[in-house]
Amino acid sequence: MDNTVKIDYKNIFYPPGGILMWIIIYLELVTFGIALVFMALNARAEPEVFHESRLLLNTGFGAINTVFLLSSGWCMAQSVHFLKAGNFSKSKLFLMFTVFGGFLFLALKSFEYYEKVEAGLTVGYNSFFGYYWMLTLFHVIHVIVGIVILAVLGRTLSKKPETLKVEDYESGAAFWHMCDLIWLLLFPIIYLLF
Amino acid sequence: MERTFNITWLILIVLTIITAVFANIGSAYVTSIILGLSFLKIIGVAFFFMELKKANAFWKVLLVAFVALLLIVVWAV
Repeated sequence: MDNTVKIDYKNIFYPPGGILMWIIIYLELVTFGIALVFMALNARAEPEVFHESRLLLNTGFGAINTVFLLSSGWCMAQSVHFLKAGNFSKSKLFLMFTVFGGFLFLALKSFEYYEKVEAGLTVGYNSFFGYYWMLTLFHVIHVIVGIVILAVLGRTLSKKPETLKVEDYESGAAFWHMCDLIWLLLFPIIYLLF
Repeated sequence: MERTFNITWLILIVLTIITAVFANIGSAYVTSIILGLSFLKIIGVAFFFMELKKANAFWKVLLVAFVALLLIVVWAV
């Protein structure tokens, strides 16, 4: 691991995770944010459709998935902490728990999608489910990409930990936490609000 | 640092449970409460798990302002 350079996070160009990753994070939040504002505008035009459709969602699944992602994010933060401390074995262990949390999220989401498809609540059912599928599937794609990034980092951590840069690891971690941030916007608005 | 992560995680889980409970209670303020709790959770993840608290004020202000603005717009609509 390259510990020779001390990162000055107070420098505007070096936020934890890197400036490029934070630009991506803000762009993602803006993209999802705009879609959620349009969803809220549509809900104003069709309040009964949105309310009745929202009641067809399983809020328990949404809450449990929130717990999975938050716990996964906690493991990721621990993994970064132990990597910086030079404790590679603990860092790797927490990284594995992080990925496991991601898979738990995907498993529950898949079951939820299966139930919706079986009930005929597909993307064309009404405007609420159009937003539901578009936004949650877009988020799921981010989770899958995040798992791939963490798997690549985990491989390097296992085989050549001395080549792993803290900046790269923090960038991967920031991407994973971004999945948390997006879900923390989606869950209350889609599952609870209307 | 580990203690900070643990406390943050615990608070986030408690806020998630409170959010789920409030969603099932018919209240005139339920929308405001749900969006307010979401704001707190997002700030918790960003500032403590992502360690944004260590970053330059520009990044902190940008995130807080954007999330607050977004949730206010959703609430107002």
